Amino acid sequence: MQISMASSGPQNPSQIMPLELVDKCIGSKIHIKMKGDKELVGTLLGFDPYVNMVLEDVVVYEISSQGKKVTRLEQILLNGNNIALMIPGGEGPDN
Amino acid sequence: MSSTRQTPSDFLKQIIHRPVVVKLNSGVDYRGVLVCLDGFMNIVLDQTEEYINGQLKAKYGIAFLRGNNVLYISAQKRKA
Repeated sequence: MQISMASSGPQNPSQIMPLELVDKCIGSKIHIKMKGDKELVGTLLGFDPYVNMVLEDVVVYEISSQGKKVTRLEQILLNGNNIALMIPGGEGPDN
Repeated sequence: MSSTRQTPSDFLKQIIHRPVVVKLNSGVDYRGVLVCLDGFMNIVLDQTEEYINGQLKAKYGIAFLRGNNVLYISAQKRKA
């Protein structure tokens, strides 16, 4: 997936709207950071204007001082309300 | 790619009347059969089981969950 980050005017075709970036990620793996201490990695199947997301083959990481708690889920509808960050092609949290 | 696209409303149509797990922001899990839901993610579950820290704490018949508390709704993949 190639996404140009060149800063440019509105005429430039490399300009991309935020939701276009999310749309380009449909069918591929993404890494989501929630408000709070949760992170998810999974394949994006779709989303709506609230950026609620349908995800498949999901791994949920709950990061706390005691370590990482991992949960695996087949298919989820994730509420967009608590999403803070989405990283295309996500590897998931390291360390 | 459009063949794999599945919007939230497509997903909801697919999982209605099936067993689901609903996780709330508080970390509490509710397992039950999805009776119905709306665009606010308000949910009605039947045969509801309440899990706190992964342990079964209570069972209810029909239960209403207010949508603002919902973190995610999870379902098993449908076998083709």
